[in-house]
Amino acid sequence: MTAIQSRAFVQIQNVFKEFETEGKGAAPIPVIDGVSMEIQEGEFVVYLGPSGCGKTTLMRIVGGLETATTGEVRLGGERVTGPDRRKGMVFQAYTSFPWLTVLQNIKFGTKYRDDVSETERNEIANHYLQLVGLEDFADFYVNRISGGMRQRVAIARTLAAAPDILLMDEPFGALDAQTRDFLQEQLLEICRAERKAVIFVTHDVEEAVFLADRVFMFSARPARVIEEIDVNGAIGSERMADTKETDAFFHLRNHVRDLMRDQARAIG
Amino acid sequence: MPGTAGRGRASGSGQALGALVAYRGATGGRANLTLGIAAFVLFIAVWYLIVFTGLVTERFLPYPGVVIGTMAQLLVTESFLNDVWISVARVWGAFLLSVVAAVPIGIWMSSYRIVGALVEPIVDFIRYLPVPALVPLLIIWFGIGEASKVAVLWMGTFFQLVLLIADDAKRIPREFVETGYTLGAKPRQITRSIVLPSMLPTMVDNLRITLGWCWTWIIVAEIVAANSGIGHYIWSMRRFLKTPEVMAGILVVGIIGLLTDQAVRIAHRRLFRYL
Repeated sequence: MTAIQSRAFVQIQNVFKEFETEGKGAAPIPVIDGVSMEIQEGEFVVYLGPSGCGKTTLMRIVGGLETATTGEVRLGGERVTGPDRRKGMVFQAYTSFPWLTVLQNIKFGTKYRDDVSETERNEIANHYLQLVGLEDFADFYVNRISGGMRQRVAIARTLAAAPDILLMDEPFGALDAQTRDFLQEQLLEICRAERKAVIFVTHDVEEAVFLADRVFMFSARPARVIEEIDVNGAIGSERMADTKETDAFFHLRNHVRDLMRDQARAIG
Repeated sequence: MPGTAGRGRASGSGQALGALVAYRGATGGRANLTLGIAAFVLFIAVWYLIVFTGLVTERFLPYPGVVIGTMAQLLVTESFLNDVWISVARVWGAFLLSVVAAVPIGIWMSSYRIVGALVEPIVDFIRYLPVPALVPLLIIWFGIGEASKVAVLWMGTFFQLVLLIADDAKRIPREFVETGYTLGAKPRQITRSIVLPSMLPTMVDNLRITLGWCWTWIIVAEIVAANSGIGHYIWSMRRFLKTPEVMAGILVVGIIGLLTDQAVRIAHRRLFRYL
């Protein structure tokens, strides 16, 4: 199979991944079982699947933090060979640095950019500080702020690095439900302003349907795409706080939840 | 002092007392200080009683007052102060040489598996060699001058410290390093701007503990082969059975250790306010 000359921003082509296991004669464990997809610029894509199915591994391959056993990922036509600033990543674990303040953390995102001056670094940091609504906490050390705020710092820092794509690995997984709802809405606003491609990994069905333009539903390990759900086609691209109460959302969520249940049952 | 200090805290004192005896209860500055001082007072009281009752003759265990008096006298004696200064200089000199070597090598060990796999078994082996057993060898190699003292201290601390540092570096969250990569940092930049600041608080703690060991090894080294330093002083007083002087010398080592430790603790609190 030769590289397809498509215009898509992210091209994932026939990716297989196996994890080596320790011990003599132990067979490698298949994690990703031949996944291909294309993601357009500015598109918000959610990877949904049962825990441990390999969706995070696929996202990490896109980020260059893992390598595919076979197959390849192209970003803007260029083959991904390792991590760099163009593939920004937000983790579930808090990664804002405790020795820096909120503002310093966000500015850290610009540290390895050679396309901006020192004045611009400060402007960028302040811009994203405002975008995530943390102006009042600029000089707080991150150990003094809540988990939700720490994730906003991480998102702002990642954006300050001006990545081409935003990779988010269950960033709201450790937060309480109210904070989660609030951050989901805020994330959509930010993404509307930034117009970046996003891959967002979650196992929360409601979160997936609310955030996504498209949802890729994965099987239990090894991960295969079992259904691609066109959320915009079903409920429109407009998302408000009360979107979750509409009939269309309700029906789509139930459909996706059934898919998810089947997969969970497969694991047992 | 008890009158004024006690009144304002009267209402909370029952609770504070509860916290002191509760399993893993909250710790407080004032209560800790009071208990610390009380332990010292109790220690000296027991000591006094042992001599007073004649349990041990004064020749072997002088009264606390005599030892403290001797120490006060020593602290204004120029030759003794010179011994103190020499020991302090040896400890700090050797300690800094240890740190300068252990920090980069330790970080390197945790950064590249090949370095860790090569270095760790050897370090582990040498680490278990008892330092006093190495003293004769180090004297053959380095003579009885300053070099052998520094060598003894260095051997006694470097091999422990390098493993502690490697561990500190290894223990920083993997996501911190990956965040560095995805923000565009190179490995060297990740080490400098993420790994180092991240491990610094635990590293300073480990340095503080290692510095304490230096005081053990310096006395060993100075007793075996030296004509200066606190260890040499203690050893030469032993020859004349001057027990108060011997104990005063030991006490001075303890006090220097305690003061250094507290200074580093305070610096730690100032440096790492964010913790």
